[in-house]
Order: sequence, then C-alpha cells, then structure tokens
Amino acid sequence: MTKFRVRGGMPLAMLSAAVATATVLAGCSTVTGGNDPKGAANRLTAAGTYAIESLDPHGAQGASTGTQFAGQAIFSRLVRPKPDGSLTGDLAKSWRANDDASEWTLTLREDATFSDGKPVTANDVVASFKRMMALDGPNAGNFPDYTMTATSGTEVVIKAPAPDAAIPGKLGLFYVIPADVKPDDTKFFDKPVGSGPFTVERYTPGEALVLVPNKKYWGKRAELGQVTIRNIPELSARLTALRTGEVDVVWGIPDDQLPALQGEKRLTVKTVPSTAVFTMWFNSSTRELADAKVRRALWQAVDFETIIKQLYPKTGTLADAPVAPVVLGHAAQSPVGHDPKAAQAALKAAGFDFSKKLRLQFANAEFRPFIQAVASDLAEIGVKVDALEKEQAVFTEDLLALKWDVNFQQLATPTFDAASNLGRLYTCAAKRNGYCDSKLDGLLAAAGSSTDEAERVKLYGRASEIIWRDAVGMFPMAVGIAYAWNGALEGFTPDPSGLPDFSTVKITGS
Amino acid sequence: MTRMIMRRLLIGVFVMWGAASLIFVIVRAAPGDPASVLLGPDASREQVARLNASLGLDRPLLVQYVGYLGDVVRLDFGESHRLARPAMGAVFERLPATLELTLAATALAVIVGLTLGLVAGGRPDGIVDRVVSATTVALQSFPTFWVGIMLILLFALGLRLLPSAGVGTPAHMVLPAVTLSLPFTAIVARLTRSSVVEAMREPYVTTARSKGLTETQVLLGHALRNSLIPVVTIVGLQMGALMGGAVIVENVFAWPGLGSLIVDAVANRDYAVVQAATLLIAGVVMVLNLVADLLYTRLDPRIRMDGGS
Repeated sequence: MTKFRVRGGMPLAMLSAAVATATVLAGCSTVTGGNDPKGAANRLTAAGTYAIESLDPHGAQGASTGTQFAGQAIFSRLVRPKPDGSLTGDLAKSWRANDDASEWTLTLREDATFSDGKPVTANDVVASFKRMMALDGPNAGNFPDYTMTATSGTEVVIKAPAPDAAIPGKLGLFYVIPADVKPDDTKFFDKPVGSGPFTVERYTPGEALVLVPNKKYWGKRAELGQVTIRNIPELSARLTALRTGEVDVVWGIPDDQLPALQGEKRLTVKTVPSTAVFTMWFNSSTRELADAKVRRALWQAVDFETIIKQLYPKTGTLADAPVAPVVLGHAAQSPVGHDPKAAQAALKAAGFDFSKKLRLQFANAEFRPFIQAVASDLAEIGVKVDALEKEQAVFTEDLLALKWDVNFQQLATPTFDAASNLGRLYTCAAKRNGYCDSKLDGLLAAAGSSTDEAERVKLYGRASEIIWRDAVGMFPMAVGIAYAWNGALEGFTPDPSGLPDFSTVKITGS
Repeated sequence: MTRMIMRRLLIGVFVMWGAASLIFVIVRAAPGDPASVLLGPDASREQVARLNASLGLDRPLLVQYVGYLGDVVRLDFGESHRLARPAMGAVFERLPATLELTLAATALAVIVGLTLGLVAGGRPDGIVDRVVSATTVALQSFPTFWVGIMLILLFALGLRLLPSAGVGTPAHMVLPAVTLSLPFTAIVARLTRSSVVEAMREPYVTTARSKGLTETQVLLGHALRNSLIPVVTIVGLQMGALMGGAVIVENVFAWPGLGSLIVDAVANRDYAVVQAATLLIAGVVMVLNLVADLLYTRLDPRIRMDGGS
C-alpha cells in the first residue's frame, strides 16, 4: 500500500490533530478565574454589564461603569455614597463648607495606608486631583476651574469658582492614588497601588479583573479570598453562567429574563430603584418644538403607563420627576395623563405642522421596543416620528450638536445629587436641549450654592416643577436594576448605581 | 523558490501600504469622533474639542496621514487613548486567544471535514454520502450566533458538561472551537468529497485498482493526495475568514480575542487600535496565503513557484 504523507512530514490529518492538541493545551496557559480548589469556596465571581477596559479612574474611561466599579474596589475616595444615596466619609472623616459653599475643607483620617504600606497623605489627595484635572477626563468635567490645596498633612481645601454645595457628592467620583503617579503613567495601572479594600491580583483589560483583599486596608478587611469580575458580553451566556454556578452575581437583567431566574431555588433575585430616569428631551430650539404647549401635548399623546407595564413590568415605574426618587432634590410632580384626543386638539390649536417628521434619536438596541412603542402612540394622533438608532459615537456627536428633535437617554445621577443632573443639564449655558429660562437658571444656581439641604430640596423641587410643566422633555420611567445572586452570599447589597461593593460580602459556610 | 518568496514579500510591502492607507481613510470617513465617545454624553462641547485637539485630530487629514505612515514605518502604531496603552500592545495581548481559537477550529474542521469528505466521496450517491451532504448543507446554513447559544444551552446548562463562557481550561475551548469550526467543516467536507469523486474517476485510480489495491488503499493512497490541493487552498483562505468570523463566537463565549477588541475599537472610534489590528491581520493573512502556496509544491512537485514548468 502506498502511504500518503505530506512530503518530509506527517499526514495532513495528523498535523491537524497535533495542532488541535497543541492549541487546546496552549489554552491552558490563558487562565482566568483560577482553578485551584484550595479556598475555592471563598471565591466570588461576578459578571457585570460592562467590560473593565481601564483601571485609571482619572483618564478618559474614568466615568465608565467598568472603571468606576474597579475604582471603588481598588482605590479610596474622600467621600462615597452609601446604597441609600447618603454620603459617608471614606478617606475624609469630616468636611465643612465656608459660608457661600465655594470652599470646602476636608479632614483626612490618619490611619489610611496604600496597599504598599505607605500612608495616604493630603499630598496624595492633591496630586490625584491635579492629575484628574490634567487628564481632562469626564470626571474632571465636574470640577471646571476648581483647585485643591493641602493646608496640612491631613487637611485639604477645594475651591470652586462659584458656590457649589454639591461638591461632597461630586467627590464620590474622585479617586486617590499615590502622589508620584504622573498623568502619562499608564504602567502603574497594570498593577495599581491603592488604598481600597482590594488589590489587583490579575487584570486583563476587557476580559477579567481578579481582586484579592488588601492586607493593608485601613477599614474592615474583606471576607472573600478572591473576587473575579468577568466580562461576558452576551446576555444569554451571562445568565447561563449564573444558572450553572460559574458566576455568583449578575445584574442589569432585562425583565423578560427575570421569571426564569426567579424559578431557580439557589438564586436570590431582587430589583432596586436606580438613580436613572428615561429622559426624552425635546429640542426646544427648533421651530416645531419651541412652544411648551406642543411639547406637553406630545407627552400627553403617549401611553407610558401601558408601555412600561408591557416592557418593563419589574424594572420600570412611571417617573414622577426629572430625577429619580433616590436622588437628593427629587420632588414628585403631578402625572401627565394619557389623553390622545386632548393632545391632538392641543397640537392643532398650537399650529403644529403634522407633515413634519420628528427625529427621535437613541443609541442602544435594547431600547428599540420602547422607542417603537412611543413612535406608534404618536403616530396614532398623526405625528410622524423617524426613530433613529445611532451608534454611540454618532449619537453623542449629534446630541451635542442638537441634531435631533427628540433625544432618548437613560440618564443616571451617579452623585445622587440633582446638582449634577438638573444643575448641569438644564441651564441656558448648558445648551443641551435648546431650552432656556432665566427663572430656572436662578433656582438652579440658588440650589447649587445653598448648604442647607432642606433648602436645596425645596429649590430643586421648584426647578423640577418648571422643567415638568414646560415639558423640557418627557420623563416616562424611573429605572430599576435587577440583580440575581447566589443565595450562599451573605451581606450582598444590590447597589442603585450598578456598582455593588463586595468588600462586605462573605460566602456562607466559607 | 527563494526568488518567489522575495517577490511575494516585496508585493506584501505594497499590500500593507494599501491596507494601512485604506483603513486610515475608512475609520475617519465613519461619522462620530473618538473624543465624543471617550467622554460620553455628559461631556461639554468644549471638553470634546480639547480632547480632539490633544489627540491630534484637529490637524489637516493629510498631515495626520503622513504622520501616521511615518509612525508605521517606525513600527509605532500609536496609543489607544481609550485603553491608555500602546495600540499594538493591546492587539498583541488579544492575538494569542484568537490564534488558539482559530487554529483549534481549523484543525477540527480539517480532521472532521476531510474524514467526512473521504467517506462520502468514496461511495458517491450512497446513504452516507447523502447524509453527509445534507448535514454539511445544514451546518453551513445555521447562523454561528444561534449555534453557539444552542450549544451553550445544551452542553453547559442542560448537560452541565462544559463551561458556558470564558477561558481557563481546555474545556473552555471546546464549545467556541466547535461553533467556529462547523461552517468551515462543511466547506472542507464538500470540497473533499467532490475532489475525491473526481479523482476516483482518473485513469491512475483504475491502474491502482488493477494492481489489486483495496478501495481503502486506493482512496487514501492515491485519490486523497490528489484531492488535497483545493482543500489546502481553501484552508489558507478560510483561516483569514475564520479570524473575522471569530468576532461573533468571541462575543457569545466571552472569549477574549482580537475580534471583540476590534468591534469595541470600531464602536468607540479607537483609530489606533483599529489600524494596528487591521495591519496585523493583513500581515497574518498574507503569511498564511504564502504558506498555502508553499504547501502546494510539497503536495504536488509538478507545481513550481519560481516560474519553472
């Protein structure tokens, strides 16, 4: 028999088999998630909704959910929000404002250290602030022309160009790193030194972040031996991993997937109110939408209550304000009832041009059914809508350029303070939606500069009333976040910002 | 042979220049700019303008192009502002995972496809041939995304035999490699079958039979070897396509490869990463095609690459 061989080599099938074996074995070298059975019971694996692409909290990715999530585990902040939205000291043990809230003094705790054992000083805080400002990332946008100085080893002062009562809330987005890390030092974040409850054992951008307890942590040591944050972009794979036990915690679960998870005995499923509200701004700078009566009528034409019941029965509730109930400054407004006949009549009376097609832009496919339902309701009264699903890059560019008539966003308030939502987005200077009202500007400025919390709530309430009455946008839904986790986890608290803290979690029996 | 390789490498330089220029234009022709995505909808217009300037994107396009080509010649592929590290570094971090997956899928496709093709082509129009033909048509028709999800539901959730996603153990590779290999397996099987059927009609096969060789000996010793050239061609071409197809599989199985990096880079207008990854893939495909061409000469000595007869 003539044997077939690739000349001078092995048969092709054998070569293929060898390659297959080699690649499978090579696969063993890219280990994620650890297979060491020792201590495996004390390990937690979570799969969030976003990849962690960078650990630099001051950089361009600083405001992304993934980086924020990693940041709070690895680094400390001066203050941080608790799950209920109230602020608590992290590195700062106290803070106080001057009379007009343009200057805030924060006193640092003295026992805080970085994971390399060095103490966290006021110099580190100031250098971190300067680095954040130098990198001009999205978090720096909360502090335009603000300065920070160290008045002693344990005291820093932050000065704002204008009164700003929301500074403590905004500082929840500011992370402290060692003073010697330069703005262009990217190597540091491969294995960063922080003063948070965890340190990085292994990090592969976009794939996995493996954390272990920070032995030098100044607070209560984390109980878990290891926390792995995996990126599983495909929803069905993520939920399957949860159901098979490969993953212990998943969040951001859509409503249609919740019943199946609720049927799993070993899982706990809970939905918590978030800081986000579905926000549908009208472009008030256009001729068609300049009239508040027109905007109000369009809102009235959509049956949001039914849409929410159909699409978001577990994670959605009819919104009653431009900001979510957990946000400081929330003030409930009278609901805008669904009345298509009245809406149509109001539009006719206002001389609305029914031949004009409204450009409704949005950026994420998951919102497509909601947008289609809104467009359908508006079509019922003769209003034509062009639903434009855009890539994030195009969406953002068009958003800032006001190239839309109706803009849909799931708008969160991560600082839990209306100042970073109402105070930032609804002023004439912001030019975000073409709406401008000097009275509203005055109220927002007053609310932003008062250190009296009750007064601020009252002022934001009055501002919300104007925004709601003039229908600067439609505010259909307060968003909830659905979490599902392994019932063996103890001390796990679902977080309204989608940034759960694992430092207080332990696994029963471990 | 050496002359041919040198000639191909020289052509390769022009191909790479073309690829570099094309991708430079394409990424910039797409609407939306990197600064808007990086800073997100919360940023002000002034912040976006400042970041665009710091990225050098406010310079004339020609100036950017000349600077980019100069950098590429110096093997500097730029910095990914989004990932805060060198773009080619980010690409190389992900390349091994994609190569592992692609090679495993190719090897599976070749082993299974060749076997099925041989079995079917050995007895054309028999029951086995019909079953194989129907199966391969089905395998090519199913969307990879759907197949991946179905395999996860069956083997991870239903039977609890394999992990659903991620990397870590050889078991993690099974489902993504199988998913990626299925359409390719079908192509190899169909091509092998038709080549074998054709080869079995050749006079040299009749001669082999008349010498008293069994059908298996004829099939494996004579028909298979002569059927391999088109298979090698398609393997060479398909490996490039597999790297592209890996995007979907990587997404379904959370496989941290190049595909998902490129998709994210495109969505985020991360020009440096898109450019670096495209150039690398173009280079890999070029090398694979060259390897396939060289393999021809090993399979059939009558084929000469240096212009000889």
